[in-house]
Amino acid sequence: MTLRVLIVEDEMTIAFMVEDMLTDLGHEVVEVAMRLPEALAAARRIEVDFAILDVNLDGLRSFPVADILAERGIPFAFATGYGSAGLDEGYRGRPILAKPFMHDDLRMLVARILDDCPPPDSLIPPNAQ
Amino acid sequence: MSSAANDLQFGGAFPIDGGQLGQLIRDHDWASTSIGPLSDWPQSLKTVTQMLLFSPVPIVLLWGEDGVMIYNDAYSEFAGGRHPELLGSKVREGWGEISDFNDNVMRVGLSGRTLAYRNQELALQRRGKLEPVWMDLDYSPVLDESGKPAGVIAIVVETTEKVLTQRLLAESERRFRALTNASSDIIYRMSPDWKEMRQLDGRSFLADTDTPTIAWMDDYLLADDRRQLQSAIDGALAEVRPFQQEHRVRQADGSIGWVFSRAVPITDEDGRIVEWFGAATDITERRRTNAHLRLVINELNHRVKNTLAMVQAIAMRTFRDGADVDHAQEQFAARLVALAQANDLLTGERWAGASLRSAIEQAVQPHQHDTGRMSFDGEDVRISPKTALALALAMHELSTNAVKYGAWSNDGGIVSIDWHIRDDRLQLRWRETGGPAVVPRTRRGFGSRLIERGLAGELGGQVSLHFEPEGVRCVIDAPMTFVAPE
Repeated sequence: MTLRVLIVEDEMTIAFMVEDMLTDLGHEVVEVAMRLPEALAAARRIEVDFAILDVNLDGLRSFPVADILAERGIPFAFATGYGSAGLDEGYRGRPILAKPFMHDDLRMLVARILDDCPPPDSLIPPNAQ
Repeated sequence: MSSAANDLQFGGAFPIDGGQLGQLIRDHDWASTSIGPLSDWPQSLKTVTQMLLFSPVPIVLLWGEDGVMIYNDAYSEFAGGRHPELLGSKVREGWGEISDFNDNVMRVGLSGRTLAYRNQELALQRRGKLEPVWMDLDYSPVLDESGKPAGVIAIVVETTEKVLTQRLLAESERRFRALTNASSDIIYRMSPDWKEMRQLDGRSFLADTDTPTIAWMDDYLLADDRRQLQSAIDGALAEVRPFQQEHRVRQADGSIGWVFSRAVPITDEDGRIVEWFGAATDITERRRTNAHLRLVINELNHRVKNTLAMVQAIAMRTFRDGADVDHAQEQFAARLVALAQANDLLTGERWAGASLRSAIEQAVQPHQHDTGRMSFDGEDVRISPKTALALALAMHELSTNAVKYGAWSNDGGIVSIDWHIRDDRLQLRWRETGGPAVVPRTRRGFGSRLIERGLAGELGGQVSLHFEPEGVRCVIDAPMTFVAPE
């Protein structure tokens, strides 16, 4: 199943790598947002199956982006070198992709995101926390 | 130490009993002194002599103008090595080292007046050398049968030990005061059960408590911390061990600080706690520094991992399918060097902001030793570290391309880089001239993608790369947040 993905990552080399990896896994990267304003706009507008968010966007936290995605019921994971300690309280339960990571890490993450978050038409409200 | 009255043999030779001194007095050759043989002594002299011999208090009688010395056992102990030569000697000669003092005693006493000294210090030679001795001295005249002063009686109570002890105590007290003053610590005293604070010297960090108060917890502690502190106190009380705790305090200025507090119990002779004495160090700044340090370490860890992810990304891209291994290795090494140099730039600027000009120059210069074949033109501004990193990597890719295919691949090509700032936008041009004719590329590599998409994405602007016949041209137009110089 080809999934549509939004990548929010401020480091261009890393963004390209994630894009390549996801493409290798058979998914489609719809957009790469490297800065917070672009990421916020994308989160509001875009139709994707899930998103991967870097926590730190050139010194700014990406949590507002996470809030919009959560509100729209779009599953997402954080990609970060901070570990879960770097996340604000309300986001601790979210899946984390610890940098640096391998193809398999990404594959398992995608599987976990989809397990945790049933499709929007499910009776269970998504991202209840 | 006194003789019991029952043992006395009244009616014998004068003086009756009187211990060792009684015997010495009976045996002494008084005829050779100015007061004459015992048998000729006036009754007044006999009465006083007998009285002092019965007394357990050190007493000495100084009789006649010469002050001939008659004393008891207690006084002989005081006299030390000077006894028994003192007996029957003239006081000014017997105690030669204080003859002036005794001369005054004799004159005053024989004139019918008394003298009293408390803790009087005199230098006496009792054990072979002069040493300070302190005494309570009471002198009063003794009248003879005619009612005139014929001698002086002195009660001598040595207080040397008491004086020295007090002196040591006072010294220790002064040392203690100095210590508490020298220390910048807060000093406090608590009642044995810690219910009452007796005193606290707050060193301007905390408000002082000068009179005992039971409201000290309200005054100094935060409501949330009281339970924890009380349990630490209870533990110290139960086991009678030092109290030790790091806790928050309400500072004199109302703000919240931190102290490291330690108190020890002071006990009396019976081991009962009479007071707790404590000192507390202001560790507010230390805790702040530690918290900051933890933050910095966390941030550093994040950056290291991010950098490793970048290295991984560069490796994956460089060694991607079908790439020539030797070439890819060289390219990978060069990209890592560029990344490292860009990082130097950032750490050199303590991650606070980097020089635009340095970022460009440091990325470009390593690729061409002939500085005549490059030009940099534009004002220097400070840019965010991330922007600097992105620009440096893009400049590196353009430079390697120039060395391989462009202006720096022949003997005379030139690369010109110029930029200007207009309305908070950076407009930068990379132009190659004098190189071999450019053949349009069929496959765009990592470098092109990095520059066109990556840099544009990072900068939030437009980046266009043109492979024109006269040379490669790259135009960057991006909004820029400039960092104010420090």
